Amino acid sequence: MGGTIQNRDAFLGTIAAQLGREPKMKVEKPIWKHQPQRTVLAGASLDELLEVLRVQCEQIHTDIVETTKESLPVALDEVVKAYGGGPISLWKDGRFGEYGLSGLLEAKWPSQQIEVNSWDPSLGEKNIELAEQANIGITFSDMTLAESGTVVLFSSADKGRSVSLLPTHYIALIPKSTLVPRITQASDMIREKLNNGEQVPSCINFITGPSNSADIEMNLVIGVHGPVKATYIVIEDC
Amino acid sequence: MAMKFSKKNFTDRTKDNISDDFMRQAVASAQERLHGRRLDAAEELGNWEEWRSHGEEIRQHVLENLDFYLHQLSENVAERGGHVFFAKTAEEASDYVRDVVKKKDGKKVVKSKSMVTEEINLNAVLEEAGCEVIETDLGEYILQVDDHDPPSHIVAPALHKNREQIREVFEGKLDYHKTSKPEELALHAREKLRQEFLDADIGITGCNFAIAETGSISLVTNEGNARLVSALPKTQITVMGMERVVPSFEEFEVLVSLLTRSAVGQKLTSYVTALTGPRDEGDVDGPEEFHLVIVDNGRSEILGTEFQSVLQCIRCAACVNVCPVYRHIGGHSYGSIYSGPIGAVLSPLLGGYDDFKELPFASTLCGACTDACPVKIPLHELLHTHRRIIVEEEGRSPISERLAMKAFGIGAASNPLYSMGSKVASTAMKPLTKNDRISKGPGPLKDWTDLREFPAVGNTRFRDWFYDQKGGK
Amino acid sequence: MKVSLFITCLVDMFYADAGKDMVEVLERQGCELSFPKGQVCCGQPAYNSGYVENSKSAMKNMIKTFENAEYVVTPSGSCATMFKLYPDVFKDDPNWLPRAQELADKTYEFTQFLVNVLQVENVGAKLKGKATYHPSCHMTRLLGASEEPKKLLNQVEGLEMIPLPNAHNCCGFGGTFSVKMGDISEQMVDEKVNSAIVTEADYLIGADCGCLMNIGGRAERVGKPIRVMHIAQVLNSRE
Repeated sequence: MGGTIQNRDAFLGTIAAQLGREPKMKVEKPIWKHQPQRTVLAGASLDELLEVLRVQCEQIHTDIVETTKESLPVALDEVVKAYGGGPISLWKDGRFGEYGLSGLLEAKWPSQQIEVNSWDPSLGEKNIELAEQANIGITFSDMTLAESGTVVLFSSADKGRSVSLLPTHYIALIPKSTLVPRITQASDMIREKLNNGEQVPSCINFITGPSNSADIEMNLVIGVHGPVKATYIVIEDC
Repeated sequence: MAMKFSKKNFTDRTKDNISDDFMRQAVASAQERLHGRRLDAAEELGNWEEWRSHGEEIRQHVLENLDFYLHQLSENVAERGGHVFFAKTAEEASDYVRDVVKKKDGKKVVKSKSMVTEEINLNAVLEEAGCEVIETDLGEYILQVDDHDPPSHIVAPALHKNREQIREVFEGKLDYHKTSKPEELALHAREKLRQEFLDADIGITGCNFAIAETGSISLVTNEGNARLVSALPKTQITVMGMERVVPSFEEFEVLVSLLTRSAVGQKLTSYVTALTGPRDEGDVDGPEEFHLVIVDNGRSEILGTEFQSVLQCIRCAACVNVCPVYRHIGGHSYGSIYSGPIGAVLSPLLGGYDDFKELPFASTLCGACTDACPVKIPLHELLHTHRRIIVEEEGRSPISERLAMKAFGIGAASNPLYSMGSKVASTAMKPLTKNDRISKGPGPLKDWTDLREFPAVGNTRFRDWFYDQKGGK
Repeated sequence: MKVSLFITCLVDMFYADAGKDMVEVLERQGCELSFPKGQVCCGQPAYNSGYVENSKSAMKNMIKTFENAEYVVTPSGSCATMFKLYPDVFKDDPNWLPRAQELADKTYEFTQFLVNVLQVENVGAKLKGKATYHPSCHMTRLLGASEEPKKLLNQVEGLEMIPLPNAHNCCGFGGTFSVKMGDISEQMVDEKVNSAIVTEADYLIGADCGCLMNIGGRAERVGKPIRVMHIAQVLNSRE
């Protein structure tokens, strides 16, 4: 791979000179005097976090559905129907099977003429086209931030960025066990991966409800460039 | 648009804007709403001051070690296959971007909102090179469609326009035939722009924060346009001011929390995206090629000076949203893409005193900006520092004022002189005084009495009364 | 308690009544007052306009004048703030820095002195009517005296306090700003006057004569019926 770097030495030399010292090659990050982020919802149970998420969903114009693993196919089917059915765009993700959704995706919906397209790297650009034409995009949440009502998505070859972005509606499947207090824990997790020698994915999305804008007279319009509606389905899994 | 966008002088710009009733109403109501939302978001945390202190310590540490963190950032971007270009000047930056676009044979460029690309006049450079450049933030898009009307707010660029004006613009330029409902206008923009995203060869973004430890850049939006700009075109070019780096995700999340709360009172915006390099092997979406342009354009000259703290800025506009001067004159009066208190500090530094020397005086030094700043930039103190430099080092104030201030220096240091002066004033003002007030003052008082009554100088000064009552003490 | 009055230029020349009221309130609290004769101006008009060097002679005069004071008390949040800034102005001057610091440390705005030093909130004032309070910017934000005036006003018998809409916005005084940037200042003070009128209060109370001169002067000019009062006048009212 290996990218290029141009004009760096002179540029950084100027900075060091302005700061009145030689360029620095090593800096120890200080132990921060203030760490208020660590106290937010500290020690909250999963049930407490779920309650926080419920309340926050109202703020972010997002519907929240709570269900069990067993009832998930029914719950998801209802939301999809309410959004007007297919076409549906999905990640290629083993969790759909683990959560008992194979029957719905592979049999029930196709039998009802609901088109289901799983992300398939071998199809290349076609995936983007399908996502663009999809009525609904569905992904799992890799981590869920209670305070802000945010789902965190790590992209990969099987998990395209477009699925949560291009369709008109977006559904996030949230295993309850993915709930954490706030973005602090997500950043901790990312850094932990890094320390274990993993590299960060090329794209990490923190998604908080549907897209919106207040650019016209500060009037909130829900649904601008991204999905116009969003539903979170929280699955009791622990 | 370069930093400076108006040939009129400050006084004329201000007069124009003060007579724009819609703009003033819009700004006042936006200020009240955003101010309230920011206070609520801060209060909810319960320990906002500690958050601000944390934001401040992070930003200060980064600036003190900026060369190190930029080095680390560039290493990590390159390791992930991205290209990093350090641009000393605006021209170097925009020329580099143009050359990349040319090399890729790019025809259509989609952009997400970025102040620094305005600063380096990027759109004009690309358009001159024959590219079509499309702003995709709804506010920026409206301004662009309206023959490049300048932004008036760093977060809500089209704040000065009402829905009817926007409808007219859309009707005239985009063949729009619906109502002025924001929902319908936004939907039209969505439909128009969706195709542009799909067709574009180049995506250009700004950067809210770059993360040195991972070589990531981040984009914070509500609309999702920055996600589209960075997911669909084959080439992505990100332009960042050199100060916008953070050490790692640990600090990144704190600053994002401060940014979204301070800017719009949200815990997080709808989309916060951290992008690292071009797409990974096997990825289908995301750019094949990624360029990061790190811009100095006058920033390094601020480092190591008494203005260094202005580089702590995270562009949230909280200071703009509380400024009582901005409230009445709007963003365009500043004549710079950076308006409000932060603009009044930054514009003279980046653009020079010749064009922006009035801005530091367009403030009552009320300190609302300093109070609102989530990273504790002492904005009103920096405005004062500008004033001192403008009058003392640059000698740019009127000679009459300089003489008056010199006289003040002598008079205010000596009680006998003051005593004499204040007694003379009492006598001299007598003929002008009616019902204990002066309505038409002479000389320097005229500027005051043009607008307000001036109180009469009392027959007895406090000090004389005190001595009469209490005897000399 | 021995208190040296720092009366400020505006009170000395234009608002002597507010000064007299402050004297009576403090004396009633048992303070022994003095008026150091050498005092002139704190230097703020020149300082805020950027003429830091020209303002230093005024500052040094004040430092000398109050050198022997135990407490310095002033009816202006803005002028008190200026005293608090002296150590910063003289930070590179080893002769004056400690003296500037000493003055800064013993200086109190009038309401701060009552509430925080004398620990009194009810000074026995009576005033009938409705009032609204304009929190002056320097006093509230830079000096940090936001609660003290409210505590005192809440104890005034017969006075109904009504919140001022957008109270946090500056009135547009800003010293020389009020004349240098008249166009803008006019808009700001008009909004402040209108906000006060909306409350239907009889009095607009403030703790800084600069703001009061601006708001009151504009209200009179445009014929809006509201009376501005310095907080000392309110606290010394007995009817």
